[in-house]
Amino acid sequence: MKYLCMLTTVLSFAILAFGLWIPFKALVAQELLELAWAESQARQMQVRPWPWADTWPVARLVLQPDEDGDGSRQSLIVLDGAHGESLAFGPGQVVGGDQNAGPTVIAGHRDTHFRSLEHLETGATLKLQSRGGQWRSFRISSTRVVDSRYHRINESMLPRDSLLLVTCYPFNSIEANGPLRYVVYAEAIGSELAAVVES
Amino acid sequence: MLPTCSLSRPVSPIPARRVRRIMEDISLWLAVLLFLFVQPMYAEASAGAGELRFLDSPGPGLESATLVSTDYQVEVTGLVADVRLSQTFRNPGRQWREAVYVFPLPAKASVYGLTMMAGERLIRGEIREKEVARQQYAKARSEGRKVARVDQQRPNLFTTHLANIPPGESIAIDLSYQQPVRYQSGEFELRLPTTLTPRYMPGKVVRDGATAWQGGWASPTTAVPDADRISPHTVLPEDVAAGSHQATITMSIRAGLPVSRVSSPGHQLASNWNGNSVAVTTSAGSFAMDRDLVVRWAPARGMTPSAAVFQQQWQGESYLLAMMIPGLESDQQMARELVFVIDTSGSMAGESIAQAKQSLLRGLDTLGPDDLFNVIQFNSQTASLFIDPVPASGNNLARARRYVRSLEAEGGTEMASALDAALNQRKSGAVSQTPDGVQRLRQVVFITDGSVGNESALFQRIEQQLGDTRLFTVGIGSAPNMYFMREAARFGRGTHTAINSRSDLERRLAELFGKMQSAVLTNIRMEWPDASAQQSARPHRIGDLFRGEPLSQVVRGQAPQGDLQVSGILPDGSTWQQSLSLEQAASGKGLHRVWARQQIDALLDAHTLGKDPQAPARGDIATRVTALGLEHDLITPYTSFLAVDRTPSRPESAAMAADSVPTLLPAGLASGMLRYPQTATLAPLFQALGLLGLMFSAAIGLLKWRAL
Repeated sequence: MKYLCMLTTVLSFAILAFGLWIPFKALVAQELLELAWAESQARQMQVRPWPWADTWPVARLVLQPDEDGDGSRQSLIVLDGAHGESLAFGPGQVVGGDQNAGPTVIAGHRDTHFRSLEHLETGATLKLQSRGGQWRSFRISSTRVVDSRYHRINESMLPRDSLLLVTCYPFNSIEANGPLRYVVYAEAIGSELAAVVES
Repeated sequence: MLPTCSLSRPVSPIPARRVRRIMEDISLWLAVLLFLFVQPMYAEASAGAGELRFLDSPGPGLESATLVSTDYQVEVTGLVADVRLSQTFRNPGRQWREAVYVFPLPAKASVYGLTMMAGERLIRGEIREKEVARQQYAKARSEGRKVARVDQQRPNLFTTHLANIPPGESIAIDLSYQQPVRYQSGEFELRLPTTLTPRYMPGKVVRDGATAWQGGWASPTTAVPDADRISPHTVLPEDVAAGSHQATITMSIRAGLPVSRVSSPGHQLASNWNGNSVAVTTSAGSFAMDRDLVVRWAPARGMTPSAAVFQQQWQGESYLLAMMIPGLESDQQMARELVFVIDTSGSMAGESIAQAKQSLLRGLDTLGPDDLFNVIQFNSQTASLFIDPVPASGNNLARARRYVRSLEAEGGTEMASALDAALNQRKSGAVSQTPDGVQRLRQVVFITDGSVGNESALFQRIEQQLGDTRLFTVGIGSAPNMYFMREAARFGRGTHTAINSRSDLERRLAELFGKMQSAVLTNIRMEWPDASAQQSARPHRIGDLFRGEPLSQVVRGQAPQGDLQVSGILPDGSTWQQSLSLEQAASGKGLHRVWARQQIDALLDAHTLGKDPQAPARGDIATRVTALGLEHDLITPYTSFLAVDRTPSRPESAAMAADSVPTLLPAGLASGMLRYPQTATLAPLFQALGLLGLMFSAAIGLLKWRAL
């Protein structure tokens, strides 16, 4: 009985520790990624944040830009790809390239980096910085909940200057592989200007 | 509970008491933490009941999706196949449901009947003007009556709307249609499409607030205003419930002549000969609706037909269908300028692009030393290998082969610019003159799956820019858009073929390239003995004819007597002539529908092109097509079938959920659309579990402590 009690305690601690480790890792990794991002901006090449990483920073995303200056309140380093490995450390860029051409789709974990997506409202602005250092601003045009069993992201149908943020839904669920996704759809501000220059 | 109770108990000696106090405090905090984590679970559970209706998907929320299964009963008589297509929709949920299902039919299908079967009841459908049908449907739907409506979106794309399916029950929709059997190079072919390749919608998205994202994945665009209606969600076979999206087929072939073999490139068939008719079914029983079912049969050796006449009396009018196969055998030796256009859009990813590349490489092999050639690829952009067509020298061919092998499929399907590039490469026209002074015949081979939404705009482009070039289309993939293939080739004065699998590729291409190199019969005229019937002969203008292809026309008001005179001009300028006695006409079925369908197509062609000065005005075309549709009971762009139950079955208090039934992704196609990634971790679950366990063990520990 005593052993059973001990075992339960130890096991529970282990599980709890593992559960806390995930958000902790996500938090710490962002700090490490800041360094890698700074380096990749300085050297203009892909810099792996740690030698065995299978992904690298590709952009910086600011969810709630502070208009007063660069004191951005929530800045995230976006990694390449949206496989389990990269999402554990930061939001992953599923679609999009360096040339700023075409749509960008970024996915992030509901429990860690993209938790604050819940509070984003239509009309709010987002900022995305490319490796070259240029900032692009996006305005949220809509948010929606989709069922990933029936819906797919159709890349070719998205306008060129759009940004999609994807995370799991509902936000407070404990189910890890639910079918619903929360999609924030944003359009670049000043895309008309860009179009004029192009033509 | 436990920690609070313990506070009121008498106290023990000081050290133990303090420790216990601390333990009790900890467990109290743990309990609070646990509550915080458990609360979301409750929130989630309560949301499941029916609050998820704000889902963008008009689908059934988290209920299991509507199941659909299909049964084909095909009767082939001569050159016409009569099909009874039965779609069964099963509602496995607890709520009443409306199913919306976009499905393909053969491009030449004339749908002439609809029956709805709900349990024991059988409700016959009637043809209505589209708008009227829509209103009556909406009315019956809100009144709770079972109602079904079938509309045409494209000549090969239809939509079933079926409202008020009771929970736990099924309703079957029976569609009757007929389609011509394709006969070429000594082989009959029948194609039954079961799914569609997701189509690309060019143009700018017309943002229309809430209505966007409704029926399908695509939003209406400037070039395709009905994009949302022709883009059902495509899912993988493992995404649908077991037993859904399965089809069965029973087919009987009465070719009117002995049939030697029946085959299919994509399915295993079981055939039974019974006198002059053959019963065909798939050996596996049911098959997944993820590819076209193609059935081919060949007449016994020495029995190859060279002509056929069928006749039918319908409402006091006589209808005649004549078919003839001119024996064109001579090979032409003219030098050619061949332009290969290959579709490298995202919808080609997977098996399709491999087949397309193989086809193109095979095409390069047919080039002779005098020929010029070029390779153009297109997706969102168009790129050509050479600026101008180059001689087919070993060097150039090697370069082209390397280029073709390196092609990859991604991006959109902007077909218009590719057509421009292929057709307009040299303004001088078809017989191109190069510095060496050799006259060359211009031919364009267009290799694509045709998955675009703006077909008619493209046909218009082909018609305008064609000049003397000929356009040949090669359909690729498990479910190519055959309407596009056939019509593009017709407007391009060429012919079309489709490749279903790699094993089939060699034969189809050999046939196509053979046709391209052989003589073409032009200026074809069919003279019916009755001059007044001549006016109603359809198609009115017969296109050019390639080797192995039949010549056919259907006529109204011609009695089965006299001789039909057929003439044409061979490439060397000589006249080809043949006559056919109409007295031996065999009796046929549904010829009036064949005629009506041809007549409707002719009217809509004028609509598509809209430049023929003799063509009636647009509104006039719509009225005439509507009248034809109502007279012959045919679905057209302006007429729909509607079947309404008389008695309401859904109580007014019960709500109804709409469900867009998805179609299967064609086999071998890599999904061009991304799946949403997995974006949640196990962290909250582990945290909750860990805390729960800690709480449990702390409680036990405290109990034991107290027991001491």
